Amino acid sequence: MKDLKFSKGLVASLMLSAAVLAGCNSGEENASGSEGGGEEEVTVDIFQFKVEFKDQFEDVVALYEEENPNVNIEITTVGGGEDYGAALRSRFASGNEPAIFNIGGPQDVADWKDNLSDLTDTAAAGAALDGTLDGVTVESEVLGLPYNQEGYGFIYNTRLFEEAGIDPASITDFASLEEAVKTLDSKKEELGLESVFAFPGKETWVTGLHLSNTFLAPEFDNNVLTAFDAKTVDFKYADGFKKIVDLQNEYSKQPTVSLDYSQQVEELFSLERVAIIQQGNWAYGSIAGIDPELADNGVGLMPIPVEGIENAGLPVGVPMYWGVNKKADENVVKESKEFLDWLYTSDAGKTAVLEDFKFIPAYEGYDTSKISDPMSKAIYDASESGNTIGWVFMGYPTGWGQDELGANIQKYLSEEASWEEVIDSAKKAWETDRAK
Amino acid sequence: MRTKDLSYWLFLAPVLLALTLVVIVPMLLGVYYSFTTWNGIDTGEFVGFQNYIDLFNDQRFMDSLWFTTKFSIVSVILINLIGLSLALLVTGRVRSSKLLRTTFFMPNLIGGLILGFIWQFIFIKVFASVGEIIGMESLQGWLSTTDTGFWGLVILMSWQMAGYIMVIYIAYLEGMPKELLEASEIDGASSFQRFRYVVFPLVAPAFTVSMFLTLSNTFKLYDQNLSLTGGGPYNSTEMVAMEIFKTAFMQNAFAYAQAKAVIFFVIVAIIALVQVYLNKRKEVEM
Repeated sequence: MKDLKFSKGLVASLMLSAAVLAGCNSGEENASGSEGGGEEEVTVDIFQFKVEFKDQFEDVVALYEEENPNVNIEITTVGGGEDYGAALRSRFASGNEPAIFNIGGPQDVADWKDNLSDLTDTAAAGAALDGTLDGVTVESEVLGLPYNQEGYGFIYNTRLFEEAGIDPASITDFASLEEAVKTLDSKKEELGLESVFAFPGKETWVTGLHLSNTFLAPEFDNNVLTAFDAKTVDFKYADGFKKIVDLQNEYSKQPTVSLDYSQQVEELFSLERVAIIQQGNWAYGSIAGIDPELADNGVGLMPIPVEGIENAGLPVGVPMYWGVNKKADENVVKESKEFLDWLYTSDAGKTAVLEDFKFIPAYEGYDTSKISDPMSKAIYDASESGNTIGWVFMGYPTGWGQDELGANIQKYLSEEASWEEVIDSAKKAWETDRAK
Repeated sequence: MRTKDLSYWLFLAPVLLALTLVVIVPMLLGVYYSFTTWNGIDTGEFVGFQNYIDLFNDQRFMDSLWFTTKFSIVSVILINLIGLSLALLVTGRVRSSKLLRTTFFMPNLIGGLILGFIWQFIFIKVFASVGEIIGMESLQGWLSTTDTGFWGLVILMSWQMAGYIMVIYIAYLEGMPKELLEASEIDGASSFQRFRYVVFPLVAPAFTVSMFLTLSNTFKLYDQNLSLTGGGPYNSTEMVAMEIFKTAFMQNAFAYAQAKAVIFFVIVAIIALVQVYLNKRKEVEM
């Protein structure tokens, strides 16, 4: 009897282990089954970061799959900048490598170089606007294709400017900006304003990346690669930088250190409780979510004035690129390139990029009159006329902009550090990082 | 008891297998990576103890370690105090004790990330509005300074964990033999004496468990930290777990972050073991 019990237990445990192992097995079989199922069928795995356009993107991909029945596209979306990098690394580490994935600036290119195929011969690379491929070109090989263009500056409320009697076109330098801010501040009551600015010190990307970029771009000739190769940073325009930080801070709702994006854009700007915010065209969605009328007709975008430089343009750049995995199957690489070409150069693709994704295209041959929101229009116009400054922050040492400079600006805003200390410590951190 | 024969190991096998695969192997790999220049993509070269040497000169890591220690000490004391008080309250002669127990335990059912955002709203909006109405300047601008960030985290953590710790104390308080309490009452002990000399030693095992849980939980805190303050202002409310995460994923220094994690693991292990050892000595055997 005892023996019987024992063998029962043995059988049970064996079955359990068997079930566990079988579970692993069948999973693998399924995965390989879908790849090798149809002989002609090619599966392209896309691993991308832009959550905002996930649904529209999936619709467009479905359209492509209909046109090309032999291609099966699987999309995985993991949102938010930092999570994406981590998730992508684990995808590669697990061996389940995607065919198409996203890369940011030159640092990403350097990190992933062995996994990126040359895209120079694609039609999309040929159609890309001047300068948009700078950050991803290594030894004349194009390793990435731009998603779109984005830009930022001071977003202002046109109605409030009009009521205060300010002509936005007259703001061309720091002095005239300060003048306008003071006018707005003196009329706060009548305009129903809480303050003139909403300065989001909590968002280190706004201060440490975007704002600093405006003042560092001239130093690096507007070229992200110059910044990426620079061993030191001079902060030639540190004074102008300080003035803009001070102006935004002084005339902002307090405390600025804990003010975040949603407070700035949704609560304060969209409800017309502040007149000017430093943000980019991506804020369109947030503003439209609260007041579509304001987003479509009531806002304008102007450059951030840099003291010492006349008519500094809008900072316009490419936030993210598509890369194609070199280590994928030859067929998969070919189909991946074809898909990206289709997305950015075919008529159906173009329409989707403009009207569904609401992108500011980084390629030529688009009917730009279809761009509806005023900020994107201003950015596209600026990039066409060439009056822009580059996005050099993609070439900052990893983590330097947000974790070093941005955090130190918070320190400055809390009056725990002087401006000189902020700049000095940022310079030092840049040098130590680049000396490695 | 049966000797350790084949079936013993067979029954143990699934657990051992899982533990090896998801805990022991990754940990050994991690220790190995901490001696290299691993960047998350390739292993890189072997650099010996370089990462460990750098780490002891890393002011930011030391700051976060100190901040975490302060936070843990304050939270452990507060959580256990509140937890024990709540437990005494609901095991006493309160009418709605069942309802109260559920209510006190509830915060623990909400995820840390969401709690962080809820409390962020309370600290920034509600505190500011209440402060405005009753005219208390000190309620303005919470989370925008290091001190308010610190206390914000302590309040959030105590609020969340006290209910959980309460449950543990309740279990021990209810399991306490009534005759001992009665005897002390007959002997004329005051209620304080009864608590100090009878109840306290008997619930000592609960202290061991609760202290261990609160200590390791507060030391390893990440999600509440992330959603409540995000380390701000100027990374001054950044705890070790978050600092390590940022080193790895924002500065791309994976091997270096791994070295920090190893050190962190050693510290937490030492503290936890010492604490359990010390508490165990105070327990009484029934």
